[in-house]
Amino acid sequence: MKFTVIYNNETFNKESDNDLTIKDVLDEMNLSSQTIIAKKNGEVAIEETSVEDGDEIQFVQIIFGG
Amino acid sequence: MECTKCGNPNVVIERKASGQALCKDCFIRSIEKKVIQTVKKENLIEKGDKVLVALSGGKDSVVALEILNSYVERHIIELCALTIDEGIAGYSDKGIAIAKSHTERLGVPHKIVSLKDTFGTNIDEIMALDEHRGSCTYCGVFRRWIINRVAREFGATKIVTGHNLDDETQAIMMNYLEGNVENLAKIGPKTESKSELFTVKIKPLREVPESEIALYAEVKGLDIHSTSCPYAQESFRKEVSIMLKDLSKNHPTMMYSTLRGFDKIRPAIRAEMSQNFEFERCERCGEPSSNRLCRACTFLEELGK
Repeated sequence: MKFTVIYNNETFNKESDNDLTIKDVLDEMNLSSQTIIAKKNGEVAIEETSVEDGDEIQFVQIIFGG
Repeated sequence: MECTKCGNPNVVIERKASGQALCKDCFIRSIEKKVIQTVKKENLIEKGDKVLVALSGGKDSVVALEILNSYVERHIIELCALTIDEGIAGYSDKGIAIAKSHTERLGVPHKIVSLKDTFGTNIDEIMALDEHRGSCTYCGVFRRWIINRVAREFGATKIVTGHNLDDETQAIMMNYLEGNVENLAKIGPKTESKSELFTVKIKPLREVPESEIALYAEVKGLDIHSTSCPYAQESFRKEVSIMLKDLSKNHPTMMYSTLRGFDKIRPAIRAEMSQNFEFERCERCGEPSSNRLCRACTFLEELGK
């Protein structure tokens, strides 16, 4: 499947043969759900949400610094 | 996964500490209920209070203003707000604009006070000097001075700060690890002073995790100032924050238990550490001070202002 990740004003085009959740994508990008809100196609989504072909996943940094 | 309260399949949070999964509407209600419970339990607000919100435009103070406005709608309190212009180029202006948009939307009287107008200098000018004590030291002391004075000008009976569960837990751990029992005794939902010149400070968000405050702002569509301060630096607080966040991954109730445990021993620490010194007035500015000069004036004299 192909999907897009938007983080920090950058767009990343991703591909994967495996089933993925938002947590898998966060882990792969070395990001923490404790400091980020994830959105799937514009709607707030939890870590366990599946990523599907064509999805736009947005990571919004909500906590900066300490 | 479905909302454990109403069955809605669009869940915005899974709380690892309680096992609850909540949809947007149930999550918003849960945060508002938690804040109202804290206010009631700690007796933070009384009918007729005039409450000043120290409004930076960041998520914590914006959410505090938003939730406390429900007390205004129920004719329990009056609200007013203060935003401080620290004079940090590319940073302060954004926070002020956001703060202003919220107070205008809610019809809350709002003062914007600059460090430059008050003290003749600002954070950018101080940081350009060869010798200084670090931006956070000046910013914290000068802001507290302004907040306290403006609270009296507004005739406010309470000052609200946006401290959240992460802030409180960090403060408890930092002071404990440093052995600073005097400062530990000052932590709590309500800060009262023997001097009538100090307005009571309250922390209605102290039981809400930082991440949930941010999520509340996001799902309610509240515009917030989400840029980090350009002078933010490595600090002991940051190290403690990272440690607590790491521990919370496998122990999701840890920040709550740290706060609960501390609240139980707080009366004993306060009784042991109670100080009986009387406040005098600062010789320079007249604000209450335990020394000849208050900290703000001490810094201003150092800076030749």
